Amino acid sequence: MMKTMKQGETKPAEAKMLPDVEVVELDNGFKALLVERGPLPVVASVMWYRVGARDEHTGETGVSHFLEHMMFKGTKQFAKGQIDLQTSKMGGSNNAFTDNDSTAYYFAMAADRWETALEIESSRMRGCLLDPLEFASEKNVVLEELAMGEDDPWRPLYQTTESLLFQVHPYHHPVIGYREDLERLTAQQMRGYYERHYGPNRAFLVVVGAIDKARTKQRIQDLFGPIPRAIDRPVALKEPVAQGERRAVLRTPHSVTRLCIGFPTCRMGERDDYALDVLAHDLGNSKNSRLYKRLVLKDELVIEVSVMNETRQDPGALLVLCELREGANPARVEAAIREEVGKQIAEGVDKRDLERIRSQIRASFLFQDEAALDLAMKLSRFEAGAPEGYRTLETVLPTYDSLTRKELRQVAAKYFDFDRAAIVWAMPAAGAQTAASAQAKDQPSGGGKDERGKQKKGEQKGKKAGKRA
Amino acid sequence: MSSIRLSIAERSLDTGLTLLAVQNPRVQTYACVMSLEIRPGDEPAEKSGLANLVGECLDEGTEHYGALELASAAENLGAMLEGNQRGGVVMCPATSSKEATALLREMVVEPVFPGHEVRRVQGEVLTEIKAEEDDPRAVASRRFRKEIYGEHPLGRQLHGSARSVAKLKPKDLREFHDEWFRPAGGYVAAAGPDEPERTLDRLEQVFGKFRGKPAKHRPMPALDLAPSGRDAHLPMAREQVHIYLGHLGIRRTHPDFYVLTVMDHILGTGPGFTSRCSRKLRDEQGLCYAVSAGITASAGEEPGTFTAYIGTSPEHRQKAIDGFLDEIRRIRTEVPSPQELQDVKDYLTGSFVFALERNSNLAAYAIRARRFELGFDFVQRYPDLVRAVTAEQVREASERHLHPDRLAVVSAGAS
Repeated sequence: MMKTMKQGETKPAEAKMLPDVEVVELDNGFKALLVERGPLPVVASVMWYRVGARDEHTGETGVSHFLEHMMFKGTKQFAKGQIDLQTSKMGGSNNAFTDNDSTAYYFAMAADRWETALEIESSRMRGCLLDPLEFASEKNVVLEELAMGEDDPWRPLYQTTESLLFQVHPYHHPVIGYREDLERLTAQQMRGYYERHYGPNRAFLVVVGAIDKARTKQRIQDLFGPIPRAIDRPVALKEPVAQGERRAVLRTPHSVTRLCIGFPTCRMGERDDYALDVLAHDLGNSKNSRLYKRLVLKDELVIEVSVMNETRQDPGALLVLCELREGANPARVEAAIREEVGKQIAEGVDKRDLERIRSQIRASFLFQDEAALDLAMKLSRFEAGAPEGYRTLETVLPTYDSLTRKELRQVAAKYFDFDRAAIVWAMPAAGAQTAASAQAKDQPSGGGKDERGKQKKGEQKGKKAGKRA
Repeated sequence: MSSIRLSIAERSLDTGLTLLAVQNPRVQTYACVMSLEIRPGDEPAEKSGLANLVGECLDEGTEHYGALELASAAENLGAMLEGNQRGGVVMCPATSSKEATALLREMVVEPVFPGHEVRRVQGEVLTEIKAEEDDPRAVASRRFRKEIYGEHPLGRQLHGSARSVAKLKPKDLREFHDEWFRPAGGYVAAAGPDEPERTLDRLEQVFGKFRGKPAKHRPMPALDLAPSGRDAHLPMAREQVHIYLGHLGIRRTHPDFYVLTVMDHILGTGPGFTSRCSRKLRDEQGLCYAVSAGITASAGEEPGTFTAYIGTSPEHRQKAIDGFLDEIRRIRTEVPSPQELQDVKDYLTGSFVFALERNSNLAAYAIRARRFELGFDFVQRYPDLVRAVTAEQVREASERHLHPDRLAVVSAGAS
């Protein structure tokens, strides 16, 4: 089914999914994808490392994400504060995120000043200072980020589902890490991790915008060519097939009941991954989806339902998340989901619905081309996760179009097995405290430090942890 | 940045509706935004949350489509169609722009608010209100607005209260829509690859029959700075405490707007850790993950707020508040260094272009330029407006607009 095309060859509609990409490959394993486009004088770059929570060992959870923070705290060429300052002076912005498989650093800049981004990325590939004092200070920031996530009603629900689905594989542990591991982590341990995993053979760069390609290629060769390789990525433990349903009930300080059901699935970019995207749309991502029509419109049991196909480098998961209406019976919600998933397995996806879903998927790819950074991210995600890298974009729409209703039924039956699922409920603990039950402690104040006296003692579900996300 | 030229065109209809079109030649996508003249004071105080519920229910059925039919029609085009309390927005592949624009008009102009659907959405909003009660950041933010705006319509919560929303009837929604969803004073802006004149023709075809007399808006009550500061803490069993600190701000049309934009970036909204607040409270003291402070982001047709925010551990509450106060006092009394000022100007003049990449941003830009009378050449003039700001102007504007003795401090979360 999957056809290959020469770059630049035109074909209606889907041909435009892949822009004209120039590939730079260095001897040390480093790869860069360059896309020249205007007319706006902007450039976006993404430096993508194949290093994430998946690479962490027991006792060092969270080190990938913490290291991502430290990459902004000074390198041999850019002292602390200089990366942000230089970015700002370039009229740009930067940020980063860490997930299970990857860590990505990105810039969006004015075109006449963007090359400083290349120098920053080259400098921090091996030259991050990891100063112990900065490490200690930033650890507090990471612990605050962890606390913010603990207050988020979705985060513990999501995390518990992951930990039940993956009992052996490192996807078991949270990307941000366990508090105990973070508190114990030393700058020396982080340095060891950094030196093992950060190198040109574990990274690639995507640049999109108003660039001079010949000059950019030369700069990449000069800046990244001399950097030595890191170790190749180790193979992670394989998750055994679950021998029965796994279930947990969390008692939370929140007054709304929420549910997450996770089904173990496949790797990103496999043919089943495309089918799971379509099945996820059919189950829960629009007003016309099965679960929305049943749970929100017909039974009026939940206010929100979403279905996420989270495939990864190693087999991932498909997640169904619901937020229940006040007074809704949880058993009825779960029974309705089981029934609708069963119907999808038996009936597959309706022909008209399949066309509607294909239109939505096609449009979603087009929307990702509007901004240079969005296009750079799209190319990066495919390069990182799809078997044929960024070139998969050539065939992505034809692959969705080639999925038959029979095949979709088979894929649904293959993965949506409740005997292998993780089912996690988050329910209000007795006496859950909300603002309505709390009484404000008001104190008139002059508003100033002197008047107020001395110190008194005293934030979406999701897998990513980010520097400032 | 001065080389950027946007191709924008405008057409006024006899109904008082203004059509705007922006050409974005590079893209294969299209966005259309409809923003009518509906003001916070148009909603009766006892029916707080009504305007929001109207926006939420616009897509629950129209003269020609049931709710699911409307959703199907949009999804078949690959479109995202959403209503809001002033109109709505549609985004789609450019090949579907004509049909998608017609769906937007149908949804915003001809909704029928079926009783069963309205009651269902009402139940969903009530659950959302309950979920917000769990969120200390939302709780603190709501109380903060109340402290700033009091009984003024801007002090109400967008969602309304559980009590006010529970009382709303489908008839209330129909009456609100009939009275306020009128063309006069409203804007429809579209951005996509087509020539602006061609886009305007299409918009006129679709919206030309949207008629109705101008609405009679009640004048908005005047707003004053609170005479003194206030400190409130709402305890909740959470890991962090979320602190809002600030006071009444400015309108978008205030002549100090550009000077204050520079001030914001020096004080608390600069990128990364370049602002004083993020450098000190996050980068140096490690108190938080999220911190910001600024006065221009909320400036609109009515005065916004000067707002400083931080989420931190409860033992750091006072240290964080004191940190904000020190920086507010400092920017009122000391001129920023030449380097600090230049760094911010470099950022603002270089980054402005990023707001012009996406169709939805371009459409919103056209409406903003027209609504606030900035002129369509604003994109060319903006760098000069920023470059003209002096260090002394920043200090003077800070002194005029930041009032450390009249701050409301509101926190919610861990004690």
